[in-house]
Amino acid sequence: MSRRAASWLVLAVVLAATLVVGATGDGSPPSDEERAMRISAQIRCPTCRSQSAADSDAPAADFVREEVLRRVRQGQSEAQIFDYFVGRYGETIRLEPSPTGIGALVWALPVVAVGAAVSGLTVAYRRRRPGGRSASAGDRALVEEAMRSE
Amino acid sequence: MNAALGTAAVTLALASAVLGVATLAIGLRRRDPRLLRGGQRYVWLVLAGAVLATGAMQVALVTNDFSLRYVAQNGSRATPLLYTVTGMWSALEGSILLWGLVLAGYLALMAHRFRDRSGDPLVAWATLAGLGVAVFFFALMAGPANPFRVVDGPVPLDGTGPNPLLQNHPLVAFHPPMLYLGYVGFTVPFAFAVAALATGRLGEGWLVETRRWTLFAWGFLTAGIVLGAWWSYEVLGWGGYWAWDPVENASLLPWLTATAYLHSVMAQERRGMLRVWNLSLLVATFSLTILGTFLTRSGVLESVHSFSESPIGPWILSFFGVVMAVSIGLIAWRGDRLRSPGAIDSPVSREGAFLANNVAFGAFAFVVLLGTVFPLLAEAVNGARLSVGAPYFDRMTMPLGLTLLFLMAVAPVLPWRKAAGSVLHARLAPSAWIATAVVVGCVLAGIRGLGVLLAFGLGAFAAATAVRQLGLSVRASRRGGAGLWRAVVGRTNGGMIVHLGVVVVAVAYAASSSFGESRQFRLAPGQSATLSGHTVTYLGTETVSHPHKTVAEARVQVNGGKVYAPGLSRFPFATQAIGTPSVRNGLREDVYLTLVAPPEGDSETAVIGVRVQPLVVWLWIGGAIMALGTALAAWPVGRRRREAEGERAGPARPAATAPGGDGTEPAAVRVPT
Repeated sequence: MSRRAASWLVLAVVLAATLVVGATGDGSPPSDEERAMRISAQIRCPTCRSQSAADSDAPAADFVREEVLRRVRQGQSEAQIFDYFVGRYGETIRLEPSPTGIGALVWALPVVAVGAAVSGLTVAYRRRRPGGRSASAGDRALVEEAMRSE
Repeated sequence: MNAALGTAAVTLALASAVLGVATLAIGLRRRDPRLLRGGQRYVWLVLAGAVLATGAMQVALVTNDFSLRYVAQNGSRATPLLYTVTGMWSALEGSILLWGLVLAGYLALMAHRFRDRSGDPLVAWATLAGLGVAVFFFALMAGPANPFRVVDGPVPLDGTGPNPLLQNHPLVAFHPPMLYLGYVGFTVPFAFAVAALATGRLGEGWLVETRRWTLFAWGFLTAGIVLGAWWSYEVLGWGGYWAWDPVENASLLPWLTATAYLHSVMAQERRGMLRVWNLSLLVATFSLTILGTFLTRSGVLESVHSFSESPIGPWILSFFGVVMAVSIGLIAWRGDRLRSPGAIDSPVSREGAFLANNVAFGAFAFVVLLGTVFPLLAEAVNGARLSVGAPYFDRMTMPLGLTLLFLMAVAPVLPWRKAAGSVLHARLAPSAWIATAVVVGCVLAGIRGLGVLLAFGLGAFAAATAVRQLGLSVRASRRGGAGLWRAVVGRTNGGMIVHLGVVVVAVAYAASSSFGESRQFRLAPGQSATLSGHTVTYLGTETVSHPHKTVAEARVQVNGGKVYAPGLSRFPFATQAIGTPSVRNGLREDVYLTLVAPPEGDSETAVIGVRVQPLVVWLWIGGAIMALGTALAAWPVGRRRREAEGERAGPARPAATAPGGDGTEPAAVRVPT
């Protein structure tokens, strides 16, 4: 292995190790308040238009936050809490559409589109003939003339 | 009087635009340069009409002429002068008038810039397309969105004033005009794209002309978006600056496609590639400004910004359909001439990186568009009602944003065509180690979270690359005897400065959205509370009366120092109180104070909202750096001379951009056709 490759390998290992440490968090599980805040951020404030319950100062948002915290303390799961709010306010209360039913499309379409674009490019790179056409005398003359007047 | 003058001015502009289109069409048909020149003069009449109409509207607003419906709904005697003037863009009809004014201004600039070539069919076609767009907007003003409509019945004694949110902060004087300068500016490159397709002169020549127009529009749009975020932060009082609201998304969409274009156009200039793609990006950018106007002005989407809703939706949607049909038709018709002579040798090359950039920007735009219209689509398909909000956009765009940061770090040092491993190593290793050191430092400092660490690390990587490129440029120009100015001005260096601004914005966005803390405190006068090491002391609430509003202002001292005054404003014609936050800005972090509930009845306690968010100020600083970089990139560097020569030599070598062979395309040739 060349020294060049070795230096990149060292870099990759250092980076990966650091990121693993950095991604795992400080070890302690999130507190009830933290969990409740995270869930509230995905619930629309009922009296606002596009703000989440976590972001809004409206009284209705206050109610949602307290209700979420109460349910988190009772030990309810995220799904149970969402179900409660959807049952009460309808599906529009969730700021992220649930990945079932037609809502799945909003998640899947971008992934499909990027996948298609990337595979299209890959095919294009593969198919390209090495070499390509060479310049004709006329082309060269044009280039020369162009360079002169530039 | 104002109504009559305004209506006459709008009619003048509309008639001139129609006559201009007709004259140019006949002139093009008969190949008569005199008619072409004459047709372009109508642009000045359109401008005159637009200026007159704007003048009439301003006079009506300032003199409280409530016989105009628009003034009665958006002005009032008590409104301060600044917000009376900005009242012109506080609602739909006035905004369309501003659009028409900016459009007429751009068309006049275009006519002035190309006055020496006004007999050229390409310039004539571009003017025709631009005037065609003007016909639509002035027709809107003459018909369904008439800003000079007279009130029904007796003239009211006073008006209601602008929407409370639009008379609360002076930024309202800058954010919408900037945004419109950006939005409407994309009409010019679109017009030239149509002209190039219509004339079949698809060489790179017209690109050079339009690239700088695109750059200008892009710079204004960037500034407009950043100012809008700032306004949102200073006025709306929820502590954030970007909510993925439909109107914000509508401004972001053309920005994304225009950014993609500004990059991929370089591959066309250098290698003659991606012609269809670049044309499509220009068309998409313009179409998205129209679609965005439809989505946000027709009231089909709920949005905090829909300050007015009116029945112009079908009109705008039809115009969008016409634009799409004409553009796609033209591209299909000229498809054979658009075949690119260049080919990509390796994905690890500058042009390969531009392609990857375009995939990422395209996907970004797709996600934003899909998320914005998805509730509509879902409801239309099977009646499902659902919301697509910030968590969706955050989750989907984060990987794309990180990819773009990575490309920003790598692409500027990649050579064209193909990169050798040794070259890559020499150019990237130092920046990569700097990035690694930053990530290690952040983890040691206790920062946790994969997304944030990646954003910081890739940001450092991209910044190191940009600084390296700038350093090389400075050294080269020093060696050449030129000053520092020459080293930072110009497209490449300006671009690197824009990259630095983007990095600053990205890091600030990642930090402020990940590490904020917020809480509400119920405090009696004299009581204190502490959040993230900042102590806030509530001193009391005062009620301040202004002619146009009544404000309950809390006095809140931060860390025993300065006293801040978050307030709740009540406007006479609005039911809801409008919160006005008060922000203690800091380079490290902001303390954002809101008055959630003032003391009521016998109780003396108030509820104060406190948010501590890191690095928010850097969003605005980063935006300013981006604007500075754009200005430097657009600065004409010794181009005047070259253009003068090119213009003389232009017609003599129209074939200079003909398909060449492998690698011998006339890369450096920029012929204005």
